[in-house]
Amino acid sequence: MTGSLVADGLTVVYGGVKPLDDVSLTFDRDVCGLVGPNGAGKTTFFNALSGFAQPSAGSLAFDGEDILAMNAAKRARWGLRRTFQQEQVIHGLSGWDNVRLAAEHTGGGRAAVERAIDFVGLDGVDRAGSQLSMLERRLVEIAKTVVGSPKLVLLDEPGAGLDQSETERLISLIRQIPNEFGALVILVDHDMDLVSTVCGTTAVLDFGHVIAIGPTATVLGSANVRKAYLGTADMEADE
Amino acid sequence: MTATVNQRSSRVAAWSPAKLFSARNIVVLVVVVGVLIFTPSVVGAYWTRIFTICTIFSIAAAGIALLYGRLGLVSLGQVSLIGVGGWITLRIGHATSLPFEVVLVIAAIGTGIIGVLVGLPALRLSGLNLAIVTLMLAGAFEVIFNVTGFPNGGDGFLGRAQGGVLQQPLARPSLGTTDPDYFRYVVVVAAIMFLVIGLHLSNRPGRAWAAIRQSEAGALAAGIGTVRYRLWALAVVSATTGVAGGLLAGNAGLLDPISFKAPASILLFATVLIGGAYSLVGAVIAGFLSQGVPPLLNAWGLDGNLIFVLLGFGMIQAITTAPQGIAGQLQGLVRRIAGAIAKRRSR
Amino acid sequence: MILPFVVAGLVLGALYALSGVGMLVLYRTTGVLNFGYGALGAMSAMLAWQFAELRMQPVLAYALGILVATALSLLFGFLAGPFLATVTTLTKATATLGLALILLGVMLFAWNDKARFLRLATDTIGFQLGTRITVTQIICLGLATVIVIGTSLYLRHSPTGTSMRALASDRELASMLGIRVRRVELLAWAVSGALGGISGILLSSQTRLEPLFLTFIVIPVLAAVVVGRFKSLVGTLVGGLVIGVVQAVASAFPSTSPFSNATPFVVATIVILYLQRRKVVTIEVSR
Repeated sequence: MTGSLVADGLTVVYGGVKPLDDVSLTFDRDVCGLVGPNGAGKTTFFNALSGFAQPSAGSLAFDGEDILAMNAAKRARWGLRRTFQQEQVIHGLSGWDNVRLAAEHTGGGRAAVERAIDFVGLDGVDRAGSQLSMLERRLVEIAKTVVGSPKLVLLDEPGAGLDQSETERLISLIRQIPNEFGALVILVDHDMDLVSTVCGTTAVLDFGHVIAIGPTATVLGSANVRKAYLGTADMEADE
Repeated sequence: MTATVNQRSSRVAAWSPAKLFSARNIVVLVVVVGVLIFTPSVVGAYWTRIFTICTIFSIAAAGIALLYGRLGLVSLGQVSLIGVGGWITLRIGHATSLPFEVVLVIAAIGTGIIGVLVGLPALRLSGLNLAIVTLMLAGAFEVIFNVTGFPNGGDGFLGRAQGGVLQQPLARPSLGTTDPDYFRYVVVVAAIMFLVIGLHLSNRPGRAWAAIRQSEAGALAAGIGTVRYRLWALAVVSATTGVAGGLLAGNAGLLDPISFKAPASILLFATVLIGGAYSLVGAVIAGFLSQGVPPLLNAWGLDGNLIFVLLGFGMIQAITTAPQGIAGQLQGLVRRIAGAIAKRRSR
Repeated sequence: MILPFVVAGLVLGALYALSGVGMLVLYRTTGVLNFGYGALGAMSAMLAWQFAELRMQPVLAYALGILVATALSLLFGFLAGPFLATVTTLTKATATLGLALILLGVMLFAWNDKARFLRLATDTIGFQLGTRITVTQIICLGLATVIVIGTSLYLRHSPTGTSMRALASDRELASMLGIRVRRVELLAWAVSGALGGISGILLSSQTRLEPLFLTFIVIPVLAAVVVGRFKSLVGTLVGGLVIGVVQAVASAFPSTSPFSNATPFVVATIVILYLQRRKVVTIEVSR
């Protein structure tokens, strides 16, 4: 059973822009998706969740715990893990050390590191980060998110740069995270196929507002979601 | 300039016999022991004294290398910290009859505290801003040292001997009264300092520092308290540099402000870049470049001022084509030789 | 009576500012903070002195010194430019440290480090304005003001000046707009070198003609640039003048006098810390 995330009236202001405007949603099961056109506020939502953007209003709670009361590093230690669009594998450290890094600051020991590495199926963990292939680096990033006892895992375009078969491998991994580690997973991606395959619930953002949330198939098929994507090159490519 | 040397994976624990007695560690041990035993008799009195100072500066160089190679921070004020360590050593040494080793420890702690206090406001800075602030601090310390001078047996807080009272050099430690003995003493202390720094680099702090350098956000997202780890780096580097200062004070027994001007820190930084900021071997090379090459030039009948030209070109070359410095190129060479040998064996 | 100190401080401060303007123009156009700037000035002063010693006409000697500084700056910009364009500002600045060391070594090799005097003809003529002010000092003050205003106008109104500002703001965009990036950059190196040469000669006449000292005068000059927040010419001028006056007045009183030389360092540190006080954690994520 994964926990549940409740956002209530979450608002973020940058200068004169509101990337997030009164966002309220609940994610409470397995893998959830967050989609929307460019500039919709998906990454800002992740940043607000992980402590890199300060909300000017609203609340974020996970199983009743106030997330906003902790700073970024504390949230990680509490159990919030995230990946970034730009991969964060440290080139000078081995794959093993990269995962170990995440473990040693979030209370995981050697066993947790081994479990995470076995879970993603990474071979040759002694090779330096700079020598790993793109897929291997993405796997290291997933391993970093699941090491220890994660509660909430945020994946920001985890499949970027991977081909079809590699993406499928990633999909099957992501699917298993809630069961294996008991963590709620929120996934941001442009790839609608990926989202519809993996995510049970999906929320759609547009211009900082939630315009739809519910079972993925329903949401992605709804009229106003299509309207939000209309006119952007994104949607045309996806269709 | 984001070259990083790939660190060996820590999956196999460092304490396992396989790693502890690895070829590399054995070679290092043999070299250090060899240097300890044979150097004074092989190189003679003059060069023994030179190598003593080279070793002392290599400790400070190791600190610069840690800050730059692992954390990507340029500090252009490290020689000032040597001065602080030297000052504390002289003051405590004159004021008490504590053994030299204890005074060194006090100097390490004192310099560590001062380094952290002075560096605390600048902790959030990085890149060019930090380099400029450290340069400014070096300038400020230069002025302070000119005002306070260095203790030489007198009374008062500053410990300056006034008027007719003769200045007293600080006595050498009992284990190292003669020049050859002091050389060995310094090498042993330096080895300990290198061990301290090396252990930091290959374990948890080193990994955290690498993460902070790569991406502040990524480090925070991994649960690393970035402020804490930066302070830790500052403390370790300041403390070890303070020990270098103490050893310098113990060498001549007296120190002069003229040795701790701002340009000296710039030169030391240059030698670290050239020697190699990504390995401790580079720090040893840096120590020699900064204190050994000028006398070498003199010995060859060349103008000692050419060191500036050499360092200038060396620095530009290090930045443009050899970011891993001489040490990196040597290590590459060793790796290629080892690889060739392995290939020959497997045939 | 502190007036003599105030005057001396204003003059020195004006020179810090004059020097700073040269650094700033280069920094804004190319992103290179030239730590070798003091060395260029020192080279100019040493050569001017040497040529004067060789019985050359003083004005010609100065002009030649300035010319060499300009040429050296241009040469470095030409050779190192393409590489420097690809690296971070920190690395750019670090590379110029190499330039500083090379020039310093050459100077110390050619002339040793003993103190010399560069006497400008205008040193002997002066006025009494509450205290004695030489024409040289008036030139320093005047030149600094003129150059700050002139450079300001040049950057704002002339085509090359506008190109420089475009480069400062976005190098790639500027090149896409058809601006001859390399040309403008080289111009900046040349102008910067010339200003460095001029300020080097004046600084040597007001302080010391000594290669090491003049090379590292780049540190207090940098302090003036810091006060100008690395972008404002007027800020640099004000910064330089304030630093100069405070330093000079501090040297007038026995209690503060030993610490007066630390003024530029303290001011620069405080300003940088203040400007960077609200540092936000930057993330590479873009959307």
